[in-house]
Amino acid sequence: MDQVGSLLKRPKAYYNIDGVGELEAGVTCLGFGLIQWMQVRSPAHSAWHSMWVFCIYFGSMFAIRHYGTKAVKERITYPRTGFVEYRKRDRVWPAVFGAVAGPAFLALVIHAYRRHWDLTTGASLVGLLSAASYAYRFAREVRWKWGVASAMALGSILIAILPGDSIGALTGHSWLAVCLPTFILFGPLLLISGAISFWLYVRHTQAPRQEGQ
Amino acid sequence: MNPQIRGIADLDRVIHEPGRLMIVALLFAVEKADFLYLLHETGMNKGTLSSHLSRLEEAGYVAVVKTYRGKVPQTLLSLTATGRKAFEEYRRKLKEAL
Repeated sequence: MDQVGSLLKRPKAYYNIDGVGELEAGVTCLGFGLIQWMQVRSPAHSAWHSMWVFCIYFGSMFAIRHYGTKAVKERITYPRTGFVEYRKRDRVWPAVFGAVAGPAFLALVIHAYRRHWDLTTGASLVGLLSAASYAYRFAREVRWKWGVASAMALGSILIAILPGDSIGALTGHSWLAVCLPTFILFGPLLLISGAISFWLYVRHTQAPRQEGQ
Repeated sequence: MNPQIRGIADLDRVIHEPGRLMIVALLFAVEKADFLYLLHETGMNKGTLSSHLSRLEEAGYVAVVKTYRGKVPQTLLSLTATGRKAFEEYRRKLKEAL
């Protein structure tokens, strides 16, 4: 029965067979990191603090993510190892989770800020949770990715034990940028890991001849 | 007959064959997939996979749609409602038997 259970999980793991899942996550982390960095570093009245720039920025970021993924899947992955359309519930639940978890996390950060809690610890916890999530989603399938998961976990711990001043210097002592160090660390890690996966995928797979599928 | 042994004897033989079980389990987790995906995941050759798919189609468990992706022919496969129900039933009976 376990083998049947693992077969049922195969299609979900297939989504990241080409490293695109990690590339998407890396782009998202760097996107969030960049806008937080710009908001912290730019003057209070600059365009980076306006709602329309915020909307255009995230609209562009998610469009790049969506259409980039679609292009890679359609031009590279589907012709080589096949097409899969996921069930609606598998596509809807992550979106519902994001829509609930995002505002909940923001509310928690605001609450913590008002209570003068140490936000660095919270950011590290988010980092550790993300590392665990990465290990569950990606590293279980490919052994070398445990190295990436470990680097994410170690980085999160390092952020927690770094002197508050150095984190403050990076985040401009702004509570809005509390996750900036985590994004700056995770973004490149995920992009590198995704790029390696993509390279390995392209190297080890080949589209079958035109005679059909 | 002992009810446990009867449970084993009642297993759906169309699904119970290892090759077809792989196909049905993979299709159960998705809306649809193409022939190439099943070929890649199951490691079968084209002939064997085709023959298993024909058997599943005959039983009404798999729906086959021939289409094109650009200029390349594509065979899309999905489990029918009967197929989903049969697989759920098969898993339940197998769990009980084990």
